Amino acid sequence: MTLAPDEDLMLQVRDGAGETLGVLFDRYQAPLFNFYAKLTGNRTLSEDLVQEVFLRILKYRQSYRPGTPFRAWIYQIARNARFDHFRKSPREMTFEPEMLPPVIPTDSAEEQQELELLQRALQQLPEEKREILVLCRFQELKYEEIAALLGCELNTVKTRIHRALEELRKNFHQLAKGTVLKKAQAAGNIPPRGGRHEV
Amino acid sequence: MKCEHIAELLPDYLEGRLSADQHHNVEAHLEQCADCSEEVVIWRKLSLLPVDQPGPESRARFEAMFEAYQAGRSNPPADDSHQGKRASTWNWNVFHWLRSPLGAMAWSVTLVAIGVFAGLRVAGPKPPSPDLAAMQSELTSMKQLVVLSMLQQQSASARLEGVTWSTREQQLDPQVLSALLHTLRYDQSVDVRLAALDALSRHSRQPQVHKGVLDSLQQEQSPLVQVALIDLMLEWRDRDAAHRLQELEQTPNLNPTVRQRVEWAKSKLN
Repeated sequence: MTLAPDEDLMLQVRDGAGETLGVLFDRYQAPLFNFYAKLTGNRTLSEDLVQEVFLRILKYRQSYRPGTPFRAWIYQIARNARFDHFRKSPREMTFEPEMLPPVIPTDSAEEQQELELLQRALQQLPEEKREILVLCRFQELKYEEIAALLGCELNTVKTRIHRALEELRKNFHQLAKGTVLKKAQAAGNIPPRGGRHEV
Repeated sequence: MKCEHIAELLPDYLEGRLSADQHHNVEAHLEQCADCSEEVVIWRKLSLLPVDQPGPESRARFEAMFEAYQAGRSNPPADDSHQGKRASTWNWNVFHWLRSPLGAMAWSVTLVAIGVFAGLRVAGPKPPSPDLAAMQSELTSMKQLVVLSMLQQQSASARLEGVTWSTREQQLDPQVLSALLHTLRYDQSVDVRLAALDALSRHSRQPQVHKGVLDSLQQEQSPLVQVALIDLMLEWRDRDAAHRLQELEQTPNLNPTVRQRVEWAKSKLN
């Protein structure tokens, strides 16, 4: 049995078969949640926003046109929902990293630590750069899809991805340097700055 | 090749979209340039970061939102413009309501309930401690309070939520039961009345409920609810069923479908 394409299901929703939305919810709730969680670091808010997206789909279902790729459409709604939310409560704009899930332990402790640093480096990126990396790396949107979503040229997308990646590398480096320093301090090789050496 | 040139090609390289020539050029550069090759490594590592998963209650929340939305839609606004305006913002209200202090309280209670439930499961078959029992009873009364206040809400969808909430409890306080009975009799929305009927049908052993539910048949106008009540009467093997059906049949302008149902129910009784 082949799965019905999202677009067909959305047309059914548009034409009154609201229950079909449940199938689309099952397909998209996890990716959307991951999108929001990676961007905001806040699980509760991410869950609220996922619900908001599906409420908006119900409300604006008549505006869905045949031939529109559903994925592009739903991410458009998802971005708008996020903007509207932060417009109303800009104080929540800051990232809340404590809400992130812990990195799953991997075989080597070093590898695990690297991933943790990478996660933190990603959090330190400005929102716009974080978003473009999340879209292409975690949501697996194609560059063309991202260009349509952000309303810019394909080349602009590529440039932005590269800049984001560049900054991510620098953040990562910075964090890694700090960690090495701390480790060395813990090992007693380098005395902590301005601190006394306790024996 | 310099880093600036690579910058243009790197995103395509990462997606494997370069021609063989270009691909080769980029690889040659990566071998010499530590920064660029590190970017590639970081790009690959990104896919190893954990995927955030929504909580298990997300689906239930979606369903509640969906039902609330549908219930809101099935109540066409009256002619006056104020009503119309209210209906158009209705669906927003549902969502905002979930975030309001009352909604937040409702969600908190659910989460505490899930916590207590999970705790009990983990604790195994051991008898619950007095503390836990006290906490449970406190939780139950809190939930019932939530149900009572939800049943008073302006919006049909919020009231519907309230009714749905009540079905999560095995035992209901008499006060909640009478609030549900009141809802069954007087609520304007057919959906809310049907949900209340469904919730009450679980408590048919209570004489107050049994009588209250079947008495509501007299004044019920909606064919949907009437049919549901007839079915329930049969299911409960009500002693007065024949008499009640007789009465209903004499109602002027009875919906033909309901009349058919009455005939069918009478044949079942005999």
